[in-house]
Amino acid sequence: MPYYDEIELGDEIGPVEKVATDDEVSSFCEVWGTSSPNRFTDAETAAKSGMKGGPIVPGIMTMAMMAQLLTDWGGPGSIKDLDLVFRQPVPHNRALTLAATITDIREEDGENLAECDILMTGTEGERYIGGKAIVTLQSR
Amino acid sequence: MYLDMHSHSVSSDDSRATVEQYVKWIQVLRKRGHIVDGIVLTEHRKFDFDKNYSDLASQYDVLILKGSELDTRYGHFLVYGVTKQLTEAIDFGDTRMDSRELMKAARQYDAFALPAHPGRFGIGLTDYISQGETFEDVSIVERFNGGSRPGENERADELCESHGLLGIGGSDAHLTSHIATCMTNFNTTIRKEGDVVDALLSKDFHPVWLKDTINGASPT
Repeated sequence: MPYYDEIELGDEIGPVEKVATDDEVSSFCEVWGTSSPNRFTDAETAAKSGMKGGPIVPGIMTMAMMAQLLTDWGGPGSIKDLDLVFRQPVPHNRALTLAATITDIREEDGENLAECDILMTGTEGERYIGGKAIVTLQSR
Repeated sequence: MYLDMHSHSVSSDDSRATVEQYVKWIQVLRKRGHIVDGIVLTEHRKFDFDKNYSDLASQYDVLILKGSELDTRYGHFLVYGVTKQLTEAIDFGDTRMDSRELMKAARQYDAFALPAHPGRFGIGLTDYISQGETFEDVSIVERFNGGSRPGENERADELCESHGLLGIGGSDAHLTSHIATCMTNFNTTIRKEGDVVDALLSKDFHPVWLKDTINGASPT
């Protein structure tokens, strides 16, 4: 895990490639306890909700994927803030690229903070989710 | 000079970048050898008369100008040199306004309106032209848009070539690290919002990608 003293503006976190498969979405919905049928696992319900490309990945699951990118880098419990804008539905079984860029580094109220832009994109240039995150880091 | 003609700060509901973060990031770009002289904040459906960024501008040596990006029934339009009279004549929050009336009103009140990301699938000007709409007052469009998906800037290129239009560039940044990904290179000096209008009317500019500003290199 990086120390606060080691990072610089413009440092990249990732990119990491992920795929949210049908099975993973189903498992997530089961654990989450959402009622069925739903637009995340059922094609017909998704179509009725206006999702032309089939069932979608739940927003809260994509948020968890983004969070994992950050905790894999900064360590468990390092996320102080995660503020995302969901720009378009995320499809199942497609390659997703998750990446973040450090845009600000500061000490605030005794904490070492790294602020990042964070993005989930697709192989065709789709920008599914964008936002910013604040991660706390230890000093050396 | 190189200006990013299209950017959104947290004053727009879907942006997560502050103006201070943008100007700090521009210092990062400059350290990497890029030339970025300024930005135009084109907030969605509004004009921030009350916001003053002069302290930030002088602290970071970045020109910070204000404009607007308005939703119209024919797609999004960027407005430069916004005046009080224009905001009294046009309801900036009216998402069904006719962009042709906006363009006329803008010129009447010393401003300039032009289509943003005209190649955008579904809401770009190219789609409306394909549907038979005509836009006689359009002479400049946003040819390079940093938020475009593959194919959209190419459609803007084709529009410029087929209709003899001039092009500007803007990042359409909503996140800090996206600022200045594309810009407009003006051959005139710009210090305030009204100068942008004069510079557009001069026709002496062209769009550039950030990578093409390294050490000041810029294709014409």
